[in-house]
Amino acid sequence: MTTSKSRREVLLGAAALAGTASLPSMASAQAKGRIVVGTWGGDYARLLNKNIEAPLLIKDGWEVVQDQAGDPERRSKMLAEVRLPRGTTDVQGLSALNMFQMQDAGTVSQIDYGKLKNAVNLVPAMKYPYGVGHIYSGKVGVYNPKVIPTAPVSYKDVFDPKHGNKLGIIDIQYQYTMVCAALAAGGKVNDLEPGKKLLLECKNAGMRIYPTNEAFAQALKAEEFGTGVMWKARVVQWQNAGIPVTAITPTEGALAYVSGFVIPKNAPSKEGAYAYLDAMLDKSAQEAFAVDMGYNPTVSNAVVAPELNKRIGFTPEEVKKLVDLDYEYMTKNDVAFKEWWDKVLKS
Amino acid sequence: MAATAAGRTQFQSDEAPTSLLSATTLLGPATVFVAAGLLVPLAILFRYSFNEFEPRRMMVETFSLDNYVKFFSDPYYTGVLWTTLRVSALCTLVCLVMGLPLAYVLARTQSRFKNVLIMLVVLPLFVGNAVRAAGWMTLFGSKGFLNVTLMQLGVISAPLQIMFTEGAVVAGIIAVNLPYMVLTLQSVIEGINRNVEEAAFSLGAGPTMMFRRVLLPLSLPGILAGTILTFILGMNAYATPVLLGGPKFKMMGPLVYGQFQLNNWPFGASVAFVLMTATLGLTATANILIHRRFRR
Repeated sequence: MTTSKSRREVLLGAAALAGTASLPSMASAQAKGRIVVGTWGGDYARLLNKNIEAPLLIKDGWEVVQDQAGDPERRSKMLAEVRLPRGTTDVQGLSALNMFQMQDAGTVSQIDYGKLKNAVNLVPAMKYPYGVGHIYSGKVGVYNPKVIPTAPVSYKDVFDPKHGNKLGIIDIQYQYTMVCAALAAGGKVNDLEPGKKLLLECKNAGMRIYPTNEAFAQALKAEEFGTGVMWKARVVQWQNAGIPVTAITPTEGALAYVSGFVIPKNAPSKEGAYAYLDAMLDKSAQEAFAVDMGYNPTVSNAVVAPELNKRIGFTPEEVKKLVDLDYEYMTKNDVAFKEWWDKVLKS
Repeated sequence: MAATAAGRTQFQSDEAPTSLLSATTLLGPATVFVAAGLLVPLAILFRYSFNEFEPRRMMVETFSLDNYVKFFSDPYYTGVLWTTLRVSALCTLVCLVMGLPLAYVLARTQSRFKNVLIMLVVLPLFVGNAVRAAGWMTLFGSKGFLNVTLMQLGVISAPLQIMFTEGAVVAGIIAVNLPYMVLTLQSVIEGINRNVEEAAFSLGAGPTMMFRRVLLPLSLPGILAGTILTFILGMNAYATPVLLGGPKFKMMGPLVYGQFQLNNWPFGASVAFVLMTATLGLTATANILIHRRFRR
């Protein structure tokens, strides 16, 4: 005698089987709890998952949820949530400047480096009291040799009004561009006035302003202009995409860009937050980020192949000369700088 | 007439209690949703617009008109408002001029492909504004389709600067808004009895006279609805001005977002309310003026 099963019974059986099959992984995912990670979207989020979350945390029993948004939105969220006893994220990915701004606003916890076993390898400059440096790169001069035959060697060479409309800058990078121009004009990171003057001279000579990094890359490829400044890591990505661009480390010292993570004061899972930071500093994760994204590791035990290091890295002398922003100065004047940028430079 | 009035009374007495209940049931969820999802946040934002910006704390609670004074006393911000008004008005006018004939043809055509034609008008709405703007970028770029074609034809020797100009933004917004205008007009024109047009012709009116005296007044509700819709969309445009206008071109939508990016919520809120008030005020004024003009 054969018993025929109805379609509903078959489906129910299949669902039950699937449910049973997924039990071990659910149990495993919930064994250690949940970590909510505030991050930018796109490649960075994808690589966090590929290089940190999947191999080092999820596998180990953590459930990781990404809260993807631009950093202004996430910073607003942190400020809005600061009075709540329990926030919504455990770690937040921010630039070094934004990390400072958030600790200045009293929204983040001080880092207890004793809880991070990988912190012994962390480069001292990346050990912020309120955040941990994840990756870094530097603002280098870029040029297309077809358009600019003489290679620039400094920010001063790049921000030279003689380039006319062959010099390009990026709107969304107003802070770093103003500091680079200040260094080019002999100013300092805490005095951008000479840089403003130089930028106005370049503008009067025909300097082009592009809205985004992508628009800048497209115009560079189309030979609309020939020189500007950009993160070295991004230059590597452009070179990989076939854009004819060469990077130079400026003699003034490259302006450093550090991307890191902070722990909000009201993070629901401090334990999860520290687990994330520790995984982020893991040798394998750091090496993978260098390969996939072109940013430099912040731990000394990460090994980067010499050929790759030549393209993304900096010599020991260049590392010594890396220039950091004056976070206090930038935070205090950020709105004024943006207003000057919009009303005067772009007008 | 007495029978009609009696019927109406009968209808009201039978249906009123049920209708009231049904109306409440039907309107309730949407009203609660709009009140909770739109009016409450708007009220909060309005309150924020009187606060003071403090970089470390985002804002300090106070009650000051400083943000509004800052907006109206700075030529940069009033210039942005003026640009927004100019671009929106121009786009609305072009949409109306281009959309009316198209809507008329769509409404009156007896073709078996009418549905296909309507689908062709609707089709651009399936694609997001940002994606459409990206398409325009490949068209308008210095090495884009337009410049390359013109250069190969020998019409121009150097690429035209189309990207990052007001012209590019106007073209982009028109492309986004035109389907809304056409669809609104088409639905209203379809409701106008063809016989009234033929009556006008039979009484000796030419096409222009018929349009001016018959079609235009009768399609006025559609023109008003379409104009208001496209004007509002133009005033609040974000992706098109950002992507096609470039860094130097500013409209109110990107200006509002820029302030929130700087965490300056009080000023961002006040700019948002200036934009909303200008849009509502102009829309209501135009509505009243047009109604008065055509009531005579």
